[in-house]
Amino acid sequence: MGKVFKFLGKLLLIIGGIYAALFAVFFFDLDGKALFYGVEPMLVKHYDKMPRRDPLKQMYETEKPSYEYKA
Amino acid sequence: MKKINWKKLKETDWKKAAKDFWYGKPHGERRLGDLYLPKTGLYKHREWRGVKDTLYYFNKIWLYNYGQMVMDIMKFGGPVIFAKGLWRYRWMGQTYLPVLHWFDRGLEGLRGEALRASAWHYRAMTCVTIQQFMAMFRADANLHGGQHNEAWKHSIAHKETVWGGIFYPWWGEYQNIPLEMIPYFVTCHVNNHTVLNYIDAVQSIGLPGDPCPMCQAEAGLFVLDDMPDYAPFVITSNEACDGSVASTAIQDWFLNKPLFAMPQPMQFDDPLVQEHCANEIREVWKFIEEQTGTPFSWDKLKEHLERQNELMRFEWEKWDVAANTSSYPINGVAQALYRIYQSQYGDNFIWHDTDKRVRKILEKCVAQKIDTFPKTRHRVIAWSCAPLYFSNWCTWAYNCWGLNTIINMDSLMFNMTIRTDNLDDCVMDMARYHEWAPMRRMAVGGMHHIFELWENMERFHCDMVMMYDQLQCKGMQGVHGLFEDEFRARNIHAIWMPHALPDKRTVSRSEIRTIINDYMTTVMQEEPLDPSLLDFDDSESW
Repeated sequence: MGKVFKFLGKLLLIIGGIYAALFAVFFFDLDGKALFYGVEPMLVKHYDKMPRRDPLKQMYETEKPSYEYKA
Repeated sequence: MKKINWKKLKETDWKKAAKDFWYGKPHGERRLGDLYLPKTGLYKHREWRGVKDTLYYFNKIWLYNYGQMVMDIMKFGGPVIFAKGLWRYRWMGQTYLPVLHWFDRGLEGLRGEALRASAWHYRAMTCVTIQQFMAMFRADANLHGGQHNEAWKHSIAHKETVWGGIFYPWWGEYQNIPLEMIPYFVTCHVNNHTVLNYIDAVQSIGLPGDPCPMCQAEAGLFVLDDMPDYAPFVITSNEACDGSVASTAIQDWFLNKPLFAMPQPMQFDDPLVQEHCANEIREVWKFIEEQTGTPFSWDKLKEHLERQNELMRFEWEKWDVAANTSSYPINGVAQALYRIYQSQYGDNFIWHDTDKRVRKILEKCVAQKIDTFPKTRHRVIAWSCAPLYFSNWCTWAYNCWGLNTIINMDSLMFNMTIRTDNLDDCVMDMARYHEWAPMRRMAVGGMHHIFELWENMERFHCDMVMMYDQLQCKGMQGVHGLFEDEFRARNIHAIWMPHALPDKRTVSRSEIRTIINDYMTTVMQEEPLDPSLLDFDDSESW
């Protein structure tokens, strides 16, 4: 029985610790700061150097079927 | 090391400090502007709203929404395809990760039931956004080695200005996904950095800078090859104006797919054009039948229109409370964005879930006569098209000046239910609904409709107008002087808010705040409720 209480106590402590840590992330806007200073610049760098197809090289097909119906 | 200021400690009113800790500081003592870090709009720390509301924000908004976002991603396609999409598309990675900051900006200063009801609206919009980009990624040939999978074959692409209700007859078998709603429209509200890439891209190939920046950005997505290839055919529209027709030409070029153009008349009051518009809808149904090989289903159309009518009826109840009481628990930005999103995108389970939750809150507020925005000094109606990069201006304006935005033009657009007892009347109503789209009915849809402002001002008991002035909208620029004359003749307090829709470089958020500050101090001769919000630098903020 003692072991069960000990385990439950530890579990509560761990959950409490995680909850407190998450509250600190929330309250001090650490998620925003990480995204603003870390994630966004990294992703922007990646998107900026990404090879992209140049759609301007594609012909504009003007002979496509036109869709008209008698409704 | 900082010295302890014993004198200050001695002078502290501990009873008041304990009360502020427990209940949060009263409006006027909050100094919300002091919470920002310079330029970024990030918080030194998030606002302390008292124990109850801070814990509500932490548990039921911040944690809950992060959790729900993960759940939505798992539910609508899984983490692998999400990660692929995030890596491939700038509008995805750069925009949607900081979504909780979008909540923060919109919900600043809110307490009690107003905080709860407004946050549920944000949750709904986030869920629908995730549904759409995950549907795009599941079907996207770019993310599947150029292969056209089953999801691709069962998707329908359309311009965001084509109302989702057009596709109800194929509900469950084919998913309609607007082309620009997620890559363009929603991004501007969440992170306004992203859209600038697309505006610059289209100008880099020779487009002058003065056309509507919405159409510029939509075209720029294609120029930068940042559009998923998720459907075999596409349906376009001329909503809201001829700028949209021009961007359609670029989409037609770059998408190179079977395309059906479904224009709506600008001057839609003429009964003859009504018939024409209804025929356009019937024609698009034939086009979809031809492309998919799947017949039109009247039962599905009827079922989902009735569900949509249900949403409209609740919206009317909300408007009734907003117009006639001080117990309306939804703030200006949540009201505006939720309504335009819901009425343009069409039926979805999350709108119904949200409305159920909001109804409970609304009924509680009315029954208990809760004053949801107790510092209201002026009841504001916002008219014309809003700055997408500063849609949360109304949250700021309430916190700083007590300007409470009760209703806005976009919310009032699709103001109708649709008959479902027979197909002929139903299509006529659908045509009318489509003609009443954003930026059409009360913007370029004719003088009578633009001036519906006066009757709505009266109906919602508003004493002030926030008049949006989209500098690159040639239609609305044409009636600027007429509004000026009417405001003077009717002796109405109106603040003109210049902006360039998604592009914050033309008129910054700070300039918008200065315009409002100037009007409030010089014309209204009022003192701010929170002086810390008068002037701050958020130029680099999302």
